[in-house]
Amino acid sequence: MSTPISSTAHRTRTSTSHRLRVMGGIAVSILFLFPIYWMVLTSFKQQVDIFTTPPKFLFIPTLETYIEYMQRADITRRLVNTIIVATGSGLLSIVVGAMAGYALARIRIRGAATFGLLILLSRGVPPIALAVPMFLVARKLGLTDKHITLILAYSTFLIPYVMWLMRSFFLSLPRELEESAMIDGCSRYGALFKIIIPISLPGLLSTLIFSMILAWEELLFALVLTNRHASTIPVAIAGIAGDTVNGANWGALTAVGTITVVPVVIFALLVQKWLITGLAEGATKG
Amino acid sequence: MSTVQIRDARKSYGAVEVLHGVSLDIEDGEFVALVGPSGCGKSTLLRMIAGLEDITGGDILIGDRVVNHIAPKDRDIAMVFQNYALYPHKNVRDNMGFALRQRRIRKAEIEQRVNNTAQILGLENLLDRKPRQLSGGQRQRVAMGRAIVRDPNVFLFDEPLSNLDAKLRVQMRSEIKELHQRLKTTTIYVTHDQIEAMTLADRVVVMNGGVVEQEGSPLDLYDNPASLFVAAFIGSPPMNFLEGDLVGGTNLVLADSTALPLPIGDPKGRSRVTVGIRPEHFTIADSGWPATVSVVEPTGSETQITARLAGHIVRILIRGRTATKPGETIHLAIAPEYVHLFDAAPVPQLAELEDVA
Ligand SMILES: Nc1ncnc2c1ncn2[C@@H]1O[C@H](COP(=O)(O)OP(=O)(O)OP(=O)(O)O)[C@@H](O)[C@H]1O
Ligand SMILES: [Mg+2]
Repeated sequence: MSTPISSTAHRTRTSTSHRLRVMGGIAVSILFLFPIYWMVLTSFKQQVDIFTTPPKFLFIPTLETYIEYMQRADITRRLVNTIIVATGSGLLSIVVGAMAGYALARIRIRGAATFGLLILLSRGVPPIALAVPMFLVARKLGLTDKHITLILAYSTFLIPYVMWLMRSFFLSLPRELEESAMIDGCSRYGALFKIIIPISLPGLLSTLIFSMILAWEELLFALVLTNRHASTIPVAIAGIAGDTVNGANWGALTAVGTITVVPVVIFALLVQKWLITGLAEGATKG
Repeated sequence: MSTVQIRDARKSYGAVEVLHGVSLDIEDGEFVALVGPSGCGKSTLLRMIAGLEDITGGDILIGDRVVNHIAPKDRDIAMVFQNYALYPHKNVRDNMGFALRQRRIRKAEIEQRVNNTAQILGLENLLDRKPRQLSGGQRQRVAMGRAIVRDPNVFLFDEPLSNLDAKLRVQMRSEIKELHQRLKTTTIYVTHDQIEAMTLADRVVVMNGGVVEQEGSPLDLYDNPASLFVAAFIGSPPMNFLEGDLVGGTNLVLADSTALPLPIGDPKGRSRVTVGIRPEHFTIADSGWPATVSVVEPTGSETQITARLAGHIVRILIRGRTATKPGETIHLAIAPEYVHLFDAAPVPQLAELEDVA
């Protein structure tokens, strides 16, 4: 008779801990999502509704700010620029970084570890200290206000990031996989592209997404290296926030902020399913 | 099928030499087991044959071709790894067909060869599964299949059974032996399990500390171990060893001055020796070395007795059953041909290598 009792007790305990976990999840989600929710809400408010006390949750929504600032802040062009730059630097970094990470993980070359560490340490230099030299180099090369300039500039911090993430990913794969492929008729490159890369797709994809998000929201280099032609969305937000003549326009700020977030959300939703199945596929070893 | 010759092969990692000149001649179709304790260089040697490690010195020939600088893919060898290294994103069919596709063999032929091999190994129903959907034993079979389907010159195995449980290991062991008898492909098999080496191989190569300690047929190694190391390594339960001075030609005087008469003297005339006697070579007699029985373990067909002889533990294995009881004193006799004499030295500690199966 003791078994049913203890099993009931057990079930109660797990359901309590389950409930606690769900509540914890909700709390964390609220903590993270509320500012975004507030931003989106504010972007649809009229100027008068923004600073009321207590804050208004119900109001007549308007697209006024959106329409006005799409024009004034040149949002369409910036959106296109940001997409080009984030995609370009993301792809460049994933290709170069993954191959460098593979080399660091697998190929025995004297000094490789030191070299890898140096690249990582170079990230210790504050970006602000690099921005001006980069600007001077870009100007000498005639590369100011071009997409390629930002793509290259972002790659300087994305490549080390990808390299180190992918290095540990590759280290977690058994070496015998490539050795097997090499005995089965592949060269080292063949083994990399036919065996290792397909297995690593989930890892590569999530690293690519994180890299693209980092590039998407980057402000400093974009501010320094671009002008009108290749300028990105974060620059527009900074411009609105730092408008000392008219004061910060909160409606505009939140509207442009929302425009920045929406493509990321859509993108995340699009790749999410793929990412999760990919992760399950790849989660096999041996 | 092919011969393999290893001529004074050396391997260094940086300044450390781990293989100190290994030479081996492997005949066409022969099954050779490389056996030895952990770290003795078995895997390193095998990987050098596969082309996965550079050869620091010496030559390796497959057939009559020196392969020192030939890439693994051009050596026409197949290898089975301890962790199987199945491609996790490919199903069993594609795992087995991968090497054939790399060589641009026709689809229909690949299909046929994969199916044949699957049938030999009983994998027909698993061809569409991914490796993660297989049990350990099935994965092992797929790894074997991936090697067999290629019909290579040489099979290389690196402890292919050590991830299986004891029962499956014994079963796969006889399957591997049967496969070899059927395919007759030259095979080099690395293991640290001497039983596996003895039961599988035509020839056993015992390695120790980066050199070949002794090579020979399994029973030859068992009957005529050339060194204390091989004597201790081969055989289960292991050989008994007693170290002492030879006095008057045939008296072995132990450290506590117990004198044990030997049936023979030392032809080399050493004054201090280590005597080795296999457990099954003792007979219980009316006179002989007196020992006190401490444990009697009958298994039906044979009985293992553990006894104390002048403070040393000795193991005795007798066929059939015995009425001997713990606490009794028995007398142990040895025929002269079963006495092994070695230079006096501490017995290598091989406890961790003893077969646990
Ligand atoms: N990449 C390496 N760098 C430095 N030393 C190595 C390397 N690989 C192996 N060694 C050394 O070479 C020696 C032989 O190693 P090996 O792997 O061949 O041993 P093994 O006989 O296969 O042992 P085990 O039964 O444990 O697999 C060991 O001392 C090992 O530490
Ligand atoms: Mg090994």
